[in-house]
Amino acid sequence: MNHSGEQENALRAHGLWFAYREADWILRDLSLSAPQGKITIIMGPSGTGKTTLLKVLAGILIPGRGHVEILNRKVAPASRRSLSSLVGYIPQQLGLMRNLTALENVLMGALGRCCNGKVLLGLFPRQEIEGAQQALELMGIAHKANEKVFCLSGGERQRVAIARTLLQHPRVVVADEFVSDLDMALALEILSRIRRAAEQEQITFVMSMHRQGLAREFAENVVTLREGRLAAGFPTTPLPEAVVETM
Amino acid sequence: MKPGLFISAVVALLLGLVLNELGFFDAGKLARGFRNLAILTSDMVPPDFSVLAVAARALWETILMSFAGTLLGFLASLPLSIIATRNLFSPLPARCARFLAAAVRTVPVLLWAIIFVILFGLGPLAGTFGIAAYTVGYLAKIYADLFEGTDPEIIEAVGSTGASRLQLVRFVFLPEGANAILTQLLFMFEYNIRASSILGFVGAGGLGFVMQIYLQTLEYRRLASVLLLILAIVLFMDGMSAWIRKRFLLTAH
Repeated sequence: MNHSGEQENALRAHGLWFAYREADWILRDLSLSAPQGKITIIMGPSGTGKTTLLKVLAGILIPGRGHVEILNRKVAPASRRSLSSLVGYIPQQLGLMRNLTALENVLMGALGRCCNGKVLLGLFPRQEIEGAQQALELMGIAHKANEKVFCLSGGERQRVAIARTLLQHPRVVVADEFVSDLDMALALEILSRIRRAAEQEQITFVMSMHRQGLAREFAENVVTLREGRLAAGFPTTPLPEAVVETM
Repeated sequence: MKPGLFISAVVALLLGLVLNELGFFDAGKLARGFRNLAILTSDMVPPDFSVLAVAARALWETILMSFAGTLLGFLASLPLSIIATRNLFSPLPARCARFLAAAVRTVPVLLWAIIFVILFGLGPLAGTFGIAAYTVGYLAKIYADLFEGTDPEIIEAVGSTGASRLQLVRFVFLPEGANAILTQLLFMFEYNIRASSILGFVGAGGLGFVMQIYLQTLEYRRLASVLLLILAIVLFMDGMSAWIRKRFLLTAH
């Protein structure tokens, strides 16, 4: 909270417009904000621009108009390395390398800080390895650290992806539909761990989701998209029934 | 008429015309060919294994040329293929690297061997460079296409950690492509052993020189033993590469 009693926003998007092809706008004048240390969930029907919005928020795509600010710093056109301490990104299919172990995948989160040649030989600094192990512990899969990702279950892979982003130490984590493929019990467990990480580390999570029940349970802020526009934004839970019915 | 049937009829007609043009339906020529095949086969058996010691020495040279040429070509193809990867480098350097790989690939391995014989003189050094040159052109193209097919979500996820381009190559493109990189490398080594066995025809060392002598002196029984030796080494390489693939490649998905 700031001194006026309003919640501080870690992320602000102002008047975003985005098109993959000229004038075929996926995002249309979209503005939103995400309160610091909280979970913001973006909902909406398929093909409404959720993934595009998240990529713009993470600085992977550059908007045609408008801009994104994270902790009062403009996201585009900053370089990826300078953004890495501000925002982390977890794609829908997690972006893990199946050939590498869980620990090696988590260590990818430290690449933005490790610029020396030793890292290219796979020799990471001791504190980064310890940090990766702690992140795996926080996610409850430290015992799988040396297993290759292709041997892990869907839920374990999910946790490796979160651990990788936690090692990056970003202030905001943007995640795309990443609990969609899990059963309800596993999704609840993963989201509980995310909530704990958000509270402990004061990390702001912005994620897209289809499941209304989970959104109600975990989001402090829900944003609804329709055809690239903001349909509704609700800063508190529970999500109003009227909105749930429209989705 | 159904489109599939029409296309099949057109392809069959074209094949017939082409085969006719090549003399495939010339019964006299074909009969003469089969008669010569019978004579050549009878001249080749039984193989004369007394030349095995000489042939084995030449074979060893061939294997060394293939091994060194393949590895040198592989090492040179990696940076070229990375520059040719369009989701890592901007279009201009990528296009230049692809053009270079295509230009190198256009020249057949035998011609490369002749060029290096002119440059370095007769012997296995010319053959090694010839093999390396052809390998660069082939592998650079295959690997660039492979790297471009890397899952964009992995590139985005690791890219958003602030990884540099070199780190992306080391930790994303190479591990993700490891299976195909190894498979293509083994295939190239097998191919180069077969290809280098004829490089001796142009003075670039190896088994080809021995084969050429036996062909020119019509010693077909000795030639047969050399061919059997090549068959043995190719089968051995086949088994080796199957073992390596089984031992090192990712098997579960």
